[in-house]
Amino acid sequence: MSEDKIKVQVTNLTKKFGDLLVLDDISFNVKQGEFLCIVGPTGCGKTTFLNSLTKLYDLTAGEILINGEPVNLKKHNIAYILQEYSTFPWLKVEENIKYGLRIKKIPEDEVQKRADEVIAMVGLEEFRNYYPDQLSASMLQRVVIARAFAVQPELLLMDEPYGQLDISLRFRLEDELLKLWEKTETTVIFITHNIEEAVYLSERILVLTNKPTKIKKELLNPLPRPRDVTSKEFVEIRNYVTDLIKWW
Amino acid sequence: MKKHFVGEKAEKTVYAILAIATFFLAWAFITTFTAAGETTPGPVEVLKLLVDSFFEPIGRFTLYGHLYYSIRRVLVGYVVAAVLGIIVGIAMGTSRYAEAIIKPIFELIRPIPPIAWIPLVILWFGVGELPKYAIIFIGSFTNVTLNAYTGAQRVDPTLIGCAKMLGTSDRDIFLRVVLPSSLPQIFAGMQVALSTAWMAVLAAEMIGAQEGCGWIILRGSDTTNIPLVLVGMVVIGVVGLLLATIMRMAERRLCSWNRMDV
Repeated sequence: MSEDKIKVQVTNLTKKFGDLLVLDDISFNVKQGEFLCIVGPTGCGKTTFLNSLTKLYDLTAGEILINGEPVNLKKHNIAYILQEYSTFPWLKVEENIKYGLRIKKIPEDEVQKRADEVIAMVGLEEFRNYYPDQLSASMLQRVVIARAFAVQPELLLMDEPYGQLDISLRFRLEDELLKLWEKTETTVIFITHNIEEAVYLSERILVLTNKPTKIKKELLNPLPRPRDVTSKEFVEIRNYVTDLIKWW
Repeated sequence: MKKHFVGEKAEKTVYAILAIATFFLAWAFITTFTAAGETTPGPVEVLKLLVDSFFEPIGRFTLYGHLYYSIRRVLVGYVVAAVLGIIVGIAMGTSRYAEAIIKPIFELIRPIPPIAWIPLVILWFGVGELPKYAIIFIGSFTNVTLNAYTGAQRVDPTLIGCAKMLGTSDRDIFLRVVLPSSLPQIFAGMQVALSTAWMAVLAAEMIGAQEGCGWIILRGSDTTNIPLVLVGMVVIGVVGLLLATIMRMAERRLCSWNRMDV
């Protein structure tokens, strides 16, 4: 799936809030089309990293490049999926999904085509005229995922998107995400504190330390897909990552 | 669900009719069988005068003319207050500089009742239509502003961040996120403001008016014509109720997403 082209280049990323050092001189690359998971203990600065990447926070030092250029939200097509439900409550499902496309001034026939595609992919055809208030938690998260994929992002950032869902819904949405990723070949950076989820989804895992955050370990995930969470190899990798985190 | 909702609505209507009927029966009972009847006319007398006043003039106009003037005054003062209130409220809710500058002045002026402004308003605008609009404006401006301010302040920052990530410009964030998100709160303010605007009509028509529902009450009071006072009160109550109902219908239509009965 992954090509050798570098999509995201993070160099000496440092972020301070006042005197509090959160991200401490972090450097790594993400390849085009790669599915990278970042794991670490709660409060280690995972969200700060994504917010720095998306320019919601200014960097204290260092540089983040996308396709070799500084991040520019107007130019780079980035989608961000949060743990919180971020559907617009005043827009129906279909309008929510079309939102990003309309902002990007995509022609209306293309908007409709892409919306129909992603709505079908996430199985929300019957609910396209529902308001978010009328949907369940898993449906809401599917709307957000569909909205993100509709804009065909070159980079998809996900910050513990399934953190509030129960385990069966999480498994289902993880499989849906993998299907969409394989189909679209989007580069994905997925943040989670759930090690099993990281091993199930990723091609590569970055393990972060506690604050001030550094990269503790970077490991490739060679498991073939579809992955079996009960297989010996899966459990070995999961235990290995867990041990890395336990050492703190 | 829908059926249940229709049943609930019908039930509410029945209760409302029963409550109003009980009110009029109690009024009739008290004025017929107690000493209050010596000073206060009963509902039948008031209703008769109300019907008559549609055909026979009170002062220069029949009730239609008075209604026209009062509604015009209320609508002009209210619409200007609503537009300015939404702008000022959202500015306060979205800009900390606007909030720091406007809020202290606003908080100082807010508790002053519209009637207290009458001498100054006469001084500034004379006794024509403008001071009447001004009093109604003062009566409704604060409610719209406060609610728009609260609504804009409570916009979920996650939604703003999400809109930014999808490439939304600052102008579009205002139009596509802040405004729709604040709309239910704005409507709540406009609903209350419409009532206060209609209440302020009496104060407004104290300023050299020769017509209007407030003027009918003042005329009745000046001539000790209590049935006329009550006609003015009933008309203000009924028109206020109708305007509030229209406003609620508009809210249901524009903020249907904010209700579970969509």
